[in-house]
Amino acid sequence: MARIRNGRSEPSRLAVGGLTLLGVILLWYVATSITQTIPPVYFPTPAEVLQALRQISLQGYADGRLQQHFFHSCWLVLMGFMVAVGIGVPLGMLMGWSRRAEAFVNPTFLLLRPIPPLAWIPLAIVWLGLGDAAKVLVIWFAAFVPAVINSYAGVRSIEPYLIEAARSLGVRGAMLVREVLFPGALPLIFTGLRLSLQACWTTLVAGELIGAIVGLGHVLYQAGLDLFPAMIVVGMIGVAIGGGLMTAALGWLETRAMPWHRR
Amino acid sequence: MNAHRSLTRREWLVLTCAGTLAFFGIWALASLAGLTSRQFLPPPWTVAEKFVELTYQPFSGATLQKHLLSSFGRFGMGFALAVLIGIPLGLILGWFRWADAIVSPLFDALRFVAPIAWVPFAALWFGTGIGGPVLIIFTGAFPPCVINAHRGARYVDQTLIEAARTLGARHWHIITEVLLPASVPSIVAGLRVSAGLGWQSLVGAELIVASSGIGYVLVKGQASISTSIVMSGMIAIGIVGFAIDALLRRIEVQLRRRRGDER
Amino acid sequence: MRMHLRQLMLAAVVAVIGTATQAQLTEIKVSYQPALYWALPFYVAEEKGWWAELGLKATFSTFPAGVPQIAASASKSWDVGGVGSVPAVLGAARYNLLTIGLTNDESAGNALVAVASKAEGFAKNPQSIKGQTIVLTANSTGDYAVQSCLAKWGLKKSDLIIKSMGQAEIISAMSSKNAELGGLWAPNIYTMEEKEGAKVICSGKDTGTVIPGALVVRADYAKEQPENVAKFLAVYLRAWKWMNAHRPEAIALMKKFYDLGGVSISQASMEKEFDTRPTFDLTGQLKVMKGGDASDVDKWMTQISEFMKSTGTLAEPPPASRYVTDEYMRMVEADPKLREFANRSN
Repeated sequence: MARIRNGRSEPSRLAVGGLTLLGVILLWYVATSITQTIPPVYFPTPAEVLQALRQISLQGYADGRLQQHFFHSCWLVLMGFMVAVGIGVPLGMLMGWSRRAEAFVNPTFLLLRPIPPLAWIPLAIVWLGLGDAAKVLVIWFAAFVPAVINSYAGVRSIEPYLIEAARSLGVRGAMLVREVLFPGALPLIFTGLRLSLQACWTTLVAGELIGAIVGLGHVLYQAGLDLFPAMIVVGMIGVAIGGGLMTAALGWLETRAMPWHRR
Repeated sequence: MNAHRSLTRREWLVLTCAGTLAFFGIWALASLAGLTSRQFLPPPWTVAEKFVELTYQPFSGATLQKHLLSSFGRFGMGFALAVLIGIPLGLILGWFRWADAIVSPLFDALRFVAPIAWVPFAALWFGTGIGGPVLIIFTGAFPPCVINAHRGARYVDQTLIEAARTLGARHWHIITEVLLPASVPSIVAGLRVSAGLGWQSLVGAELIVASSGIGYVLVKGQASISTSIVMSGMIAIGIVGFAIDALLRRIEVQLRRRRGDER
Repeated sequence: MRMHLRQLMLAAVVAVIGTATQAQLTEIKVSYQPALYWALPFYVAEEKGWWAELGLKATFSTFPAGVPQIAASASKSWDVGGVGSVPAVLGAARYNLLTIGLTNDESAGNALVAVASKAEGFAKNPQSIKGQTIVLTANSTGDYAVQSCLAKWGLKKSDLIIKSMGQAEIISAMSSKNAELGGLWAPNIYTMEEKEGAKVICSGKDTGTVIPGALVVRADYAKEQPENVAKFLAVYLRAWKWMNAHRPEAIALMKKFYDLGGVSISQASMEKEFDTRPTFDLTGQLKVMKGGDASDVDKWMTQISEFMKSTGTLAEPPPASRYVTDEYMRMVEADPKLREFANRSN
């Protein structure tokens, strides 16, 4: 399956991306402020969003300043992500490796998997109260599934002869996992990690519905209650930046972990 | 496939049953142990009883099936819209590199914004109409459709494209007659993810702005301090989600078989 | 085959007659929230066919809370409706909603509730609430009631931890002992009292603050169809008149209405709703709205505006005189037919 190499270099892609963003902002400005094709009640103007941004950075909104909200959300996402990955990747790998484990765990997994993370909110409140633990639980559910599925697929994708070869050389147990299974499954594991991370961010908003005091999700919720669209946009931008930064970090981790792998 | 030996039919059956029993067993024991109150974790049979009751005795205006039906209707519309717009868009982005460079940055930014964050806008723009929930479902279901169609189009065998070109095919023809058929496996895989996310987003939306539907049942169950109603709702959501996924998986397998590249 | 044809013709005739009578009815889009006391008149009027008596065909849209309800008015999804006074002020500021009457006086129906084990302690010594967590729904009458209670005790919001969430989540948190104090409105108060033994430690009424419920209309609709707005008010008023005169039947309808909204409370609690939440007939409405900016309603709404300013929701709340108007109530009073209709109690 040949693929024509994209001749463009990295910096120029970034430039085009930046230009696009500028173009969209320009279009937004024209549509709302100048021509009023989008009435201000339906969507805020860029000026209003800037004003909201200033408000939340300087005076604070929803019981906190932008930095507090941003970092608390990043913290929650990281927690949920680590727990999900910490449990999901080993479990997925185990299920991929051992048909027995797969048959045993599958029923539970299949039963719980289709339930949306948001639907766990009522139970999360009852079981864990209104603290960060409940939020992490909701986020965890979202991130857990992609981690398991992709780790499973990762182990399954390893060529059997590699494992046989390693075995015949006397490699067993923990070493087998460390030297053969893990590296072999890594590409798909990372795909799973990306999906998990994205799920964490999108579920964060839902998680912070559970009695949050600070957080971007809390900002979004409060802005929704106040019917303050400009602040909602600020919250969305915050989430997009948080998610983007973490994904970039993950990408960096990926290139370090798999220097042999070309994307 | 995997190095570990496949299970015999009997082994698989035994382990699956054991896994299922373990799940329900632990649940039953935990609820009976008395360390948890009725509200915390009702035993499986209480939930089952409540579930059945909800199918013939209306709760919050309708029976469980009726609620599921209204939810499913909204889901259907939002999903259909996401597919009808997402797949062509993905193919176009995969073909026209300049379009990709422009749209992708936007896309990457919006990906992290939870569908649920759009709820205030849904209420503002669409009020009571079906447009509101459809918007939310669309924001959830749209990205995977586009991404998978895009990937499918990008990685099509170049020789096919060359062949089409030499036969004088224009852009439109190439997209519909070469890219589309070749991307079908990727598209169908994307449909599964998209349907899953769409269904989840729907429930999220219904937790906040609805007066019917299965998400609404969850909220009302919560307000009546009935964990068994909440869990019945979760099970119903899970069943439908599972059914949608199973259906799409069937289609995916059929298609793979038809094309002869069974993995 | 011939039987079939005859049946078809009969059905067609009936349909034509049906639509002919329908065609004379003007559609009016009414919004409310389910399983709430002040929304009961809409349900009762529909059951009794009173809308049609005035030539109206009411189509209803329900919302889980006041905020999405008023947001939906921006896209003209509904024309008239009932809503809490706090969302009504927000709606006036953002979406040009006029307050044209009161649904009820729900000061007793919005309260600070405490779990059974702690209720007595807090009631005896309100200062012990300092440092505690209160869960409430921000920008609601429940929030307003809690604020008034805190003010009465000389406490400020900064003395406590306030967490905002929906009523359902509050109930969940309190009943699972994860929160001890909550700002709730009826019937959620009754659910907590009956099922969990929770106690009201302070209601809006206890603080002397009046928390009204508002009847609202979109400003542009009111300008286009003032007569329909007046008719809407007349139907609403008649429903309360009838219910107050026929309490047992009203309670029976209330049970059905609440059931539709997934709420089931005891007979005693339902009676309590009627007993503790006064409603206004035509004379009563005109009285509280009389006097322009000095009217009672203007005063009450201004207090609420100040509350919303203090929470940072509205930087510059509009003056009450701009959106509170008794013009449509006066239309009902001036028209003999509507006045008689609104005062009918059977």
